[in-house]
Amino acid sequence: GGGACPWRSNMAEETTAGEHLEFLRERHVCFFERCLKILPERYCSLETSRLTIAFFALSGLDMLSALHLVDKTSIIEWIYSLQVLPTEDKSNLYRCGFRGSSHLGIPYNVSESHGTHHLYDSGHIAMTYTGLASLVILGDDLKRVNKEACLAGLRALQLEDGSFYAVPEGSENDMRFVYCATCICYMLNDWSGMNTKKAINYIRKSMSYDNGVAQGAGLESHGGSTFCAIASLCLMGKLNEVFSEKELNRIRRWCIMRQQNGFHGRPNKPVDTCYSFWVGATLQLLQIFQYTNFEKNRNYILSTQDRIVGGFAKWPDSHPDALHAYFGVCGLSLIGEAGVCKVHPALNMSIRAFQHLQHLHHTAETKELEQHSESVPDYT
Amino acid sequence: GKEGGRRRAMGERAACGETAGPAPTPSPSPSPASAPAPAPAPVPAGGLAQRLLHNTAGDETPPEAEEPKPEGVRRASGDSDGGGGGGRRSESFAFYRDRKEWADIKPVPQDDGPHPVVQIAYSENFKDVYDYFRAVLKLDERSERALSLTTDAIELNAANYTVWHFRRVVLQSLKKDLNEELAYISEIIEDQPKNYQVWYHRQKIVEWLKDSSQELGFISGILEQDAKNYHAWQHRQWVIKEFNLWDNELEYVDQLLEEDVRNNSAWNQRFFVISNTTGFDDVAVLGREVEYTLKMIKRAPHNESAWNYLKGILQDQSLSKYPNLLQQILQLMEKPSSPYLIAFLIDMYEDFLENNCEEKEGTLNKALELCEQLAMKQDTIRQEYWRYFARRLRAKHGVIQQESAPMGSEDSLQECSEGFQRCSE
Repeated sequence: GGGACPWRSNMAEETTAGEHLEFLRERHVCFFERCLKILPERYCSLETSRLTIAFFALSGLDMLSALHLVDKTSIIEWIYSLQVLPTEDKSNLYRCGFRGSSHLGIPYNVSESHGTHHLYDSGHIAMTYTGLASLVILGDDLKRVNKEACLAGLRALQLEDGSFYAVPEGSENDMRFVYCATCICYMLNDWSGMNTKKAINYIRKSMSYDNGVAQGAGLESHGGSTFCAIASLCLMGKLNEVFSEKELNRIRRWCIMRQQNGFHGRPNKPVDTCYSFWVGATLQLLQIFQYTNFEKNRNYILSTQDRIVGGFAKWPDSHPDALHAYFGVCGLSLIGEAGVCKVHPALNMSIRAFQHLQHLHHTAETKELEQHSESVPDYT
Repeated sequence: GKEGGRRRAMGERAACGETAGPAPTPSPSPSPASAPAPAPAPVPAGGLAQRLLHNTAGDETPPEAEEPKPEGVRRASGDSDGGGGGGRRSESFAFYRDRKEWADIKPVPQDDGPHPVVQIAYSENFKDVYDYFRAVLKLDERSERALSLTTDAIELNAANYTVWHFRRVVLQSLKKDLNEELAYISEIIEDQPKNYQVWYHRQKIVEWLKDSSQELGFISGILEQDAKNYHAWQHRQWVIKEFNLWDNELEYVDQLLEEDVRNNSAWNQRFFVISNTTGFDDVAVLGREVEYTLKMIKRAPHNESAWNYLKGILQDQSLSKYPNLLQQILQLMEKPSSPYLIAFLIDMYEDFLENNCEEKEGTLNKALELCEQLAMKQDTIRQEYWRYFARRLRAKHGVIQQESAPMGSEDSLQECSEGFQRCSE
């Protein structure tokens, strides 16, 4: 935006060449806060994925150490209202998980332990992923998550080739949902939700002749799917088992070639802020992010910053959105920007949120060990 | 630069991953909430709410500047041309709640509870259509009127996968003409070519019809508008594999590369076609492809896609098996040399080293020199990477392994930090 805008007070800000080099933290906090509240009708296409927008805003605020500004309890309640719970007869177990929103018209319900019967009610893999991640970020203990139901719902989504559908009714299948599945298992600390061998096979088959990773076999390699693949393998703890050092070096080369100033997602495509995370995080996981050009990357990301409403866009002089705002912040996190927390490059949340998750896992494991030792008779 | 138009602005969002992160991308021109006739679109009371509605997520236009939507045009994500696609129905003027033929249905509202998050401010019209959709969904009513309702619901939000699924259920139940449906989905895709749900719907229709005759032509049309549309290419590969439509595809790729030799999607398709037909093991095929790629490289030396293809078709047979190629590449060096050429040479030299060539020291030194050339002159953005790469080469293939020069403190720091990162995983 430019020109005569009567509500803007400081026109002089526009003139300095280097002025866009300032990271406007407070603006982005406001942007994320606004996202959490209400959006105009023209965002209606986001209805079924509102939970992913909530995730971008919540995780974004967390990266900016501003989560204290939101009503965590209320948001946690809202997220749990999106859980597709098993019906009393458990006939819908294969459809459990989290919904993206209330768009089906299921009455609001956080208290009951059983789900209501509805022919078309089912979870969506990306909503289960972002729902769980948002709960972790908000500091919830996941005690109200029906783990068994989520895992059953997840198993039902995996195909023979190792990839996943988004919903049990059927949908497209690709690397995005492999990543969602991996994050779900990782957060629930339970790999029975997926056949990792098949998923790994799908990942290997998706490597392109040019050594990037595509959404599926034969398709064009892409920064987003490369992240999904590498991050999934890291979360599984299998990166070095699946790829030889030679292969990893080839992937490294493909990734590092994506930097133009900021990063693009495919050769000969324009750069886009979000790839500063998708490709940047992949490079971090491959241990060569340190060899990228931080200054050019930072300059690009900040050139897409919206100085008035906050947030980031994919390109300069474009409208910001929650996705690019979040990944813009995460891209800056990777280069160590002041005021931004460190992002976990595989799990896509702040290290602080990740540590909370670790704590939950340790607590659960300790509890399990105690219970186990209690059930062993004492022969002394 | 920027893409214009509301629809494409929405589509832009999908290009960054619809489900793994759709996000509001407001268009440069304001899109007022759709105005149902006769009642004006209701807006939460109060000036603060007004500002929230119009200033969230990037809307830079103050409310006063927006033009009221002409009556009868309902879509929130409406067309910039204002007219809608040829022959396509818009929702009719009356609310569903006022229609006699729907009087037996009780609408089902959305319920976000006491503290809604990321709420969307729907107009009366939008809510009306979807309240009725939710009702027929719950009842599983597979009727003509339900089908018509899905058309309205899709027009308002073509990204609602539940509406599409239910539409398919009804189409099958009513044994509707699928060719008509193919025409319908073609229109929608033309309008919203970066939406996942519409492409998936098309795939299902084509599967049911067992008729792929329109597909390649349709997809080419979409690719004419955006030659790198990932959805289009994905659908194209599916159709070709499913229906064995390989015969003319290489010719199509040739055409696309003539139009834009830098189209990475087209290069990928080239590999897809050949690897699934003749394969690259055939020496004649490989020779032809190398020749073709070198020709394209000469036309545009600074084209990563062509170099990636060249390396890709040769790398698993080992680049060092082609000493002739090395000469050909070296000849290209002067005129003008691109960072991709230099990187290709480095990779060839590395391959020679891996395969225990004679002249190890000379080869290594050439490779290291080229790394430094990239670092200092031709690929400075990756300076640190090329230096790291050179260190690895030296560490792996340096002749004097035992008496290696003491690592510079920077090097050992790098090595240590790499080790630390590995441990902290």
